[in-house]
Amino acid sequence: MPVVATSTAKRRRKLPPLGLVVGIGWLAVAIVISGLADFLPFVRGYDEPVRGAGSYGYGPGADFWFGADRLQRDVFARSVYGARISLIIATTSIFAGLLIGGTLGMIAGYFRGWIDRVISIVADALLAFPAIVIASLMVGRFEALRTSEIEVFGVGFGWASPTWAIVIVFSLLSVAPIARITRAQTLSLSQREYVLAARSLGASTPRIITREILPNIVPVMSSVLFTGIAVLLAAESGLAFLGYSVQAPQVSWGLMIQENREQIEQGWWGTVFPCLMLFLTVLSFNLIGDRVARRFDIREATL
Amino acid sequence: MRYLAQRLAQFVLVFVVVTFVVMAATRIGSTDPARDLAGGAVSEAQIELVKEDYPYLDDPLVVQYGHWLGDTVTGEWGQSYVQSQSTIDMVKTRLPATIFIGFWAIVIGLAIALPLGVYAAYRRDGMFDRVTSTGSFALISMPPLVVAVLLLFLVVTRFDTFPSVGRSLYVAPWDNPVEHFKNFFIPSLAVGLGLGGIWSRLLRADMILALQSDSVTMARAKGISPRRVLWVHALRGSILSIMTSVALQMSALIGGAVVVEQFFGPKGIGDRLIFAIQQNDILIIQAIAALLTVAVVLANFIVDLLYAVVDPRIRMARTLG
Repeated sequence: MPVVATSTAKRRRKLPPLGLVVGIGWLAVAIVISGLADFLPFVRGYDEPVRGAGSYGYGPGADFWFGADRLQRDVFARSVYGARISLIIATTSIFAGLLIGGTLGMIAGYFRGWIDRVISIVADALLAFPAIVIASLMVGRFEALRTSEIEVFGVGFGWASPTWAIVIVFSLLSVAPIARITRAQTLSLSQREYVLAARSLGASTPRIITREILPNIVPVMSSVLFTGIAVLLAAESGLAFLGYSVQAPQVSWGLMIQENREQIEQGWWGTVFPCLMLFLTVLSFNLIGDRVARRFDIREATL
Repeated sequence: MRYLAQRLAQFVLVFVVVTFVVMAATRIGSTDPARDLAGGAVSEAQIELVKEDYPYLDDPLVVQYGHWLGDTVTGEWGQSYVQSQSTIDMVKTRLPATIFIGFWAIVIGLAIALPLGVYAAYRRDGMFDRVTSTGSFALISMPPLVVAVLLLFLVVTRFDTFPSVGRSLYVAPWDNPVEHFKNFFIPSLAVGLGLGGIWSRLLRADMILALQSDSVTMARAKGISPRRVLWVHALRGSILSIMTSVALQMSALIGGAVVVEQFFGPKGIGDRLIFAIQQNDILIIQAIAALLTVAVVLANFIVDLLYAVVDPRIRMARTLG
């Protein structure tokens, strides 16, 4: 029965893996709900206490899907708004990192020289030191900078809210690893025959970089994009837990865990739900990143 | 030897870059480092005292770094003016807890990874492999914070064995092994599970290649028992990559320990570091940063040394090249 065998094999190949479907589905739901949170009727305000409920008065149920926390606020609404901030921070930082790191990496890989050396040393140094420590140190100092009267070129730092600070710090920290990955890719690509062909046809260096090398880096970059967001989401939650991310009244998953963990016996829902949301989101980004990496047959990109 | 000297130079450079970046970061948004060191809102007299001890704090950053490096190398680690505690004392009281968390986390990670990775590779694409592959993928997607919450919810609150959240204390194993286990098991597990996920994936991929290699076929052909082939002949080659990964994960391990120390307790050096960052206690921050970097760099250097010892081919290739 060869016909039957091939047909089932074909059908199997067409079905994407279950994990990927769940991952994309979860992300789509999370992004839509958190993006439209202000307009959706079933999402309450994240900072409004509900009257009449005691501390952890409501468990998960029909009224409060995820229960109400110590200050009688809706955990579901807080998780949704937390998702928004975490996702915005991670995505913005990774795009900034890709832009700067990708450019530097291509320059380093194509021209080698001192910029190459500097990038590898900085990337080595970052690998040798826990990023969460550097990040909390810098975010903490940005807070001091904001309240200080220091001005650079006549411009103060009053705008540098913790959200901004964390985006800046994450972008800076992701530059070196991304640059290193791009550098390695560019290095091997620039030895390829088609680059040589383009060069011998008289193509200028900018043209070779933008038309020959850049398109071939995109697959790696897209995989780095997803795994990078996963890493930054995890890092953001850790920082928020340590108290160096968004500050109350703003909300983020790590902050919710930090606020509610001492009272886990009174109300487990305040801690466990944000934690599950964080896990599912990180997992989804990792699944997609892994899939993209496999699709383009690249080794696991480390960030 | 030349290779090792090169690596050593590279590690020294990494150390300098990290400590310099940390020092520069402590000066962001600060107009008067001496005041930070003295503890912020204190009298002029106290700041003068600090300035007497550290007259270089007004100099350019590079000069300050030179002074600090000189002091650190000669063992003058300074003190915390805020806590009136010398850095040496602080390290002595805080470091053991962190070392034990890290050590047990590595042990737990390896204890998970070795059986899972090896057996999954042995029965590749079987039921066990598929289940553990999914499981390890889930594990690597769990930041230590998530594992900590789940452990807290699923284990700590259900059993009276473990201290409640944030109440774990440092107990040395030689004083009271049972209490040591109670206080350290959950925090180490929170860090170790993720490591186990990473290492079992690594080991599986490595072992699949090893099981296809000629040397394993040869060993099988010689009639060595399958178990011995699997655990001795095939695993031997993978030990190196596991060792490398242990060294590479050192900074992630420390980062996890920082979070977990805040979450569960044994207040170790990571907790002290976070506290120092809150107060911008610059000498303590720099000392701990230097210490952690040395730990990571040293682990990498030891792995390089072991490489040369374990694998004669690498030793030859590297001495020649």
